[in-house]
Amino acid sequence: ELKLEMDAEEVVDLIKALFAESEHRRKAISEIRRTSMTRRVDLSRLVNNLLHTEKPIPFEFLVNGQFLRTSIDDFLTQNGISAESTLNVEYTRALLPPLHVSSFEHDDWVSAVDVLTESSPAGVWSNGVQSGQERILSASYDGLLRVWNLSGDVLATSTAPNNGGRITSLKTAKWLSDKKIAAAGLDNVVRVYKYDDDARSITPSLELYNHNWGVEDIAVHGPSNRILSASADTTISLFSSTSKDSPAAPEKLLPTSTTASNKRQRLSRPDKTVPARGALSTLSGHSSPVSSVIFKPDDATVAYSASHDHTLRTWDLPTSKCVDTRTTGHSLLSLTALPKLNLLATGTSARHITLIDPRASATQIAVMTLRGHTNAVVSLDTNPTSEYGLVSGSHDGTARIWDVRSVRPAVSVGEGQVGESVYVIERQGVEKARSHGERVKVFGVRWEREVGIVSAGEDKRVQVNRQ
Amino acid sequence: NIDPESLLPKLPSPDELKPFPTTCAAIFRGQEGRVRSVSIDPRGLFVASGGDDGYVRIWELLTGRQLWNAKLSDEDAVDAVRWRPGKDSAILAAAAGETIYLIVPFAILSPDVEQSSRELLDAGWGYAASKPSTTNGLPAKEPAARWSRPGQRLEEKGILVQATVRSSVKVIHWHRRGDYFATVSPRGQSSAVAIHTLSKHLTQLPFRRLKGLAQSAQFHPSKPIFFVATKNSIRSYDLAKQELVKILQPGAKWISSFDVHPGGDNLIVGTYDKRLLWHDLDLSTKPYKTLRYHQQAIRAVAFHHGGLPLFADASDDGSLQIFHGKVVGDLMENATIVPLKVLRGHQVKSRLGVMDVVWHPREPWCVSAGADGTCRLWC
Ligand SMILES: [Mg+2]
Repeated sequence: ELKLEMDAEEVVDLIKALFAESEHRRKAISEIRRTSMTRRVDLSRLVNNLLHTEKPIPFEFLVNGQFLRTSIDDFLTQNGISAESTLNVEYTRALLPPLHVSSFEHDDWVSAVDVLTESSPAGVWSNGVQSGQERILSASYDGLLRVWNLSGDVLATSTAPNNGGRITSLKTAKWLSDKKIAAAGLDNVVRVYKYDDDARSITPSLELYNHNWGVEDIAVHGPSNRILSASADTTISLFSSTSKDSPAAPEKLLPTSTTASNKRQRLSRPDKTVPARGALSTLSGHSSPVSSVIFKPDDATVAYSASHDHTLRTWDLPTSKCVDTRTTGHSLLSLTALPKLNLLATGTSARHITLIDPRASATQIAVMTLRGHTNAVVSLDTNPTSEYGLVSGSHDGTARIWDVRSVRPAVSVGEGQVGESVYVIERQGVEKARSHGERVKVFGVRWEREVGIVSAGEDKRVQVNRQ
Repeated sequence: NIDPESLLPKLPSPDELKPFPTTCAAIFRGQEGRVRSVSIDPRGLFVASGGDDGYVRIWELLTGRQLWNAKLSDEDAVDAVRWRPGKDSAILAAAAGETIYLIVPFAILSPDVEQSSRELLDAGWGYAASKPSTTNGLPAKEPAARWSRPGQRLEEKGILVQATVRSSVKVIHWHRRGDYFATVSPRGQSSAVAIHTLSKHLTQLPFRRLKGLAQSAQFHPSKPIFFVATKNSIRSYDLAKQELVKILQPGAKWISSFDVHPGGDNLIVGTYDKRLLWHDLDLSTKPYKTLRYHQQAIRAVAFHHGGLPLFADASDDGSLQIFHGKVVGDLMENATIVPLKVLRGHQVKSRLGVMDVVWHPREPWCVSAGADGTCRLWC
């Protein structure tokens, strides 16, 4: 619910700030004074009239870069702005409530999702994806990858690897291109798969060994065939997705390396041998599990990582060096970049999202703190149509939509401005989840223009919401 | 005229003492009957649990996902589970009835961690056969424990070694370096407290005569001192000199559990008569503070062992209480103790509530075991 209650004279002031003097504006102002309109929808309709839009667009109003959620008088009081100051007033397309479109049923918990569309990274690296050919990739605790079309049909399912009797649960999966997928999980191995849309098959093509505890997250860069993996073993690996560029796999990590494990592997179904390789480099420095890793959006020689050790680190990949460390107060569980704002958003175990400027000298810990979740924030993605927008997935059983311009001043020191979520997406059929999120925890969330908000969780479903 | 209140030291408010756990972040469901014991692995990734259904289970900490399980016994409850300290291997000790099982849960391990863990367990085979076991320096009529292989069904799941003592084991406590662990069998009389050497598959009974019913035992965090709790008192022994150091008298009718502060000079005691007692070993054999917050028996107490000034207790009233407990190195200054938070959620079943509580190795998080069949993560 977007609130905006103002008196007629405040609306007149807004209109004067937004539009130059004209016959239209004069008429609009006399209309406001005649009808005493006070609500956002009224003001939005007025702006549509003044802009002569063909289809009405729902608008919201920003004053000095922050959403106007109250009367102008209240806004000035709350932000300590003198009534004499000049205000910078803008209008912008309002974020609409995300409605449930569909849910795709799985046999087990769904840990991650990714989308392949024309505007998604893998779509861009693959010279586009035709409309109607969009695909959703899901990774599950049952150890399987699935590719879906938007109607909810499973087009292909991978087979579980023969890894010497180890758990196969997946934690992360990404499209490398329209024909290649990378995935990893609790058996510590990063796997590259060939996806064939016509044959409806997902076939493992390369196994990458460097971790000795579970892999929590991967990042991919298609043009350079690079994969970054974040592991509970406290390291990050840089891999190549092509076997010829990769060194040999470390012997002691292979399932065939020990007597017991080798025996178990031979006892299970003989598998087609998949080439095994090692890492190009290992990034060491974190002291606790690394939860998430991303490439810098405009420079794939730089990576950012977030860890349970409370730090967010910047890595120079050519030298494998940690070049910057930001220490926060909490375990960090998720990470995404807001490139236009030069900010990183990281989700914490303490139920909030912290926005950090990785460039600034380390005087300010947090530029902004987004509050509202009631459990760990374990997944983040950006709004494909707004540089100010984010979506988060939490163990509280919700995904939340944020606009970093929707803020109020900080209450406590060090947290920067405080933001509140614009919309809350519940799991379909669940009115109000308990904060412990039993049976409904959200593990993964992605937001792309052609598909909308795709989220996955403990309810064994991938859920699609659209505005 | 001075107001006597103004002379009392001002306690900080809970708000100034963050971080501490405030909410339930995950429920671990899937067990039948009571959960008796929980343990978090040294890396802080996994929770192990054991309970009345005879299973030992391993869960993913943050999600509550069950990753692994094995049935240890058809008759006996799993009364104690404790991960071995150390990050280069992953060994879980679990007790059901008179048997302690040593487990390498390879399903969640990489081949190199599996291998190093197996080597630690395998090192002791043959040692006991080559050297007869002794009790208090005398040749034993009966060995203090029989070390053996648990059989194919269990070995295929990674349960690789078992040690069977004379009486039901209720408590397991590892020495920080991971080669020794102590077990307590309250009804075991002269064999109630046993110290086991992993690398030798050797069990020793250090106390020929123990005054009172043994309840719990622990190694000092840094010195060769060993603490044993009986119903009414806690004794500390110097293991090197083989002598009694001190007898603490908490004034309790029945001690259920205790924990030694990581600094080694303070100790908390939980009692079935609803009390939580803080002992400062420098001050007196009597408690420095007595805390009465629970309506029912306290079953478990635990200090945070990863650098945070926190401790917790677990009660049959279904709640956990979180406290701030700051120990200052200065002999002149006493510990600051502030109650922070009551954590509710477990259901009371047949008058039993929360059976165990353990802290995360680094974070201000704890995990509890309930008679309601659940474990809960509190963040
Ligand atoms: Mg003292």
